[in-house]
Amino acid sequence: MIFLHLVPIVQGMYMSFLDLNQFTLQRYLLAPFIGLENYSKVLIDPNSPVRIGIFEAIRNTVLYTILVTLGTLSTGMIVALMLNRKFFGRGVVRTFFLFPWIIPTYVTGLLWGIMWLREGGLINVLLVDWLHILPSKPSWLTGPNTLWAIVIPTIWRYWPQSMLMLLAGLQTIPEELYEAADIDGAGPWRKFWMITWPMLRPVWFILILFGLIYNTYSFNIVIMMFGFGAGFPGEWGDLMMTNIFRNSFQLWNFGTGAAASVILLIVMISIVNVWFKYFKQAEEMR
Amino acid sequence: MPYYLKKRITDIIINIVMLMFLGLTLLPIGWMVFSSLKSSTDIAIGRVGLSQTLDGRPKIQWENYVDMWKNVNFGLYLKNSLIICGATMVIAMLLSTLASYSLSRFKFPGSDLFSNTILATQMIPAIMYLIPLYIMFVKFTVMTGIQVKGTYWGLILIYSAFFTPFSIWILRGFFASIPKELEESARIDGCSALQVFWHIALPLAIPGIIATGIFIFLTAWDELMFAWVLTNGDTMTIPVGIRLFVGNYQNRFDLMMAAATVATLPLVVLFFFLQKYIVAGLTAGAVKG
Repeated sequence: MIFLHLVPIVQGMYMSFLDLNQFTLQRYLLAPFIGLENYSKVLIDPNSPVRIGIFEAIRNTVLYTILVTLGTLSTGMIVALMLNRKFFGRGVVRTFFLFPWIIPTYVTGLLWGIMWLREGGLINVLLVDWLHILPSKPSWLTGPNTLWAIVIPTIWRYWPQSMLMLLAGLQTIPEELYEAADIDGAGPWRKFWMITWPMLRPVWFILILFGLIYNTYSFNIVIMMFGFGAGFPGEWGDLMMTNIFRNSFQLWNFGTGAAASVILLIVMISIVNVWFKYFKQAEEMR
Repeated sequence: MPYYLKKRITDIIINIVMLMFLGLTLLPIGWMVFSSLKSSTDIAIGRVGLSQTLDGRPKIQWENYVDMWKNVNFGLYLKNSLIICGATMVIAMLLSTLASYSLSRFKFPGSDLFSNTILATQMIPAIMYLIPLYIMFVKFTVMTGIQVKGTYWGLILIYSAFFTPFSIWILRGFFASIPKELEESARIDGCSALQVFWHIALPLAIPGIIATGIFIFLTAWDELMFAWVLTNGDTMTIPVGIRLFVGNYQNRFDLMMAAATVATLPLVVLFFFLQKYIVAGLTAGAVKG
């Protein structure tokens, strides 16, 4: 098991220093050693084909991760609060709310790809033809709009998971706390910020941690939405993962692909460390 | 206005908002199923109603589902997905049950390091594994003549290796919640460590193990990137097959939606029967923090 993890990682790191493409693939690890050239090709060299679009991909990944994490958490929180009351049919409503979460992500990408279509897509039919919110049909799958076209389906797919975890957290908060607050005359807002919010801290911690990791490495939804797996997501829809995948398995630049994923790994480790440190500090402050 | 009346009205308003949001959430899924019963042109022009026959009567295109099995070769993909996901589930469940039990009960040199490594594996981008693995597979075949890329067991091996760490992480919480006193008293009564595991810990952890198994199955069903690179025409899983099909038939929206519906259906069935376990598995991490 450790073998299956460790060997590829060590190889991957080593490959990031090799000139490995379809011509040198035969020589495997004996391919020419070129030091940091792959890294410079990814980040600095203006003439390398790999660098084109990498900064757009980084920007999109950052925006995408932040927006999706915020979106899933806030939607999940609101619905969890709505479900954390006693009413008839609560279990059924919860079950139906979980539905998007069992739709496979590749189906999500495919389905929303059709829904975002300019002519005939459900979104434009609803917004323009029925509700007249927008004057003309915007094109969602080209230009800056693509960022929303990938963010919204991802939120739609993942928020039930946050909701379920937050709901489980909500149910562990003792009722007495709210009763005590009622006696002190606290309003609903005050109760939320002074009781609910702090009591859910462990859940928030985990959800944000996994949100950051999984959304940064998001692949399926984006790749399936544009050209249905064959197309280029465009400069506002390309993420790091789709970018590296295209460079590695469609342009056959394995060395630069490995270099880019090492960079991604280093960034991720630093983000997770910062988040752990911040959370520990915040815990000690209390 | 009296307090209880005000509370009642707020409750009703929240219920209405909630139901409206529920409708909005389910709309895309409904649209998927509905579109799979229309003709491809009607989807493309955005016709909201059903398709019509030549003399203007509404017509449900059931034949999309028949055409789909013919054009997409969906039966093969379904079979491959079931074999690969099922085998992965069994192997990863076995490994993670044993590993998580020993991690939650015994201290051995490096056990802390091992648990930290499990979390660390989640941080590594999948593509970082994929590039070396792909080249390794190709090289291995060149050197030994044994086919790895495009076989079932190649992908099953990879999937098991990748889904085990996270499963260990979920299952550890379940084992940790079983009171230690139970096992200690069994030890005093003369059970061996293995008997304690088999007769006491394992039966109590069954819901957790089922939840983890479902989780592995769902994740494996959803995996596109590894399957794309490491399968061939005979071992393609559903996501790869659908991607290939939509790449070749860009305008057959009706068949795409029918295929998407059928790909989702097994999960819906699974979800309805085993919802209790899925919810338990998802929330296990949340409550323990």
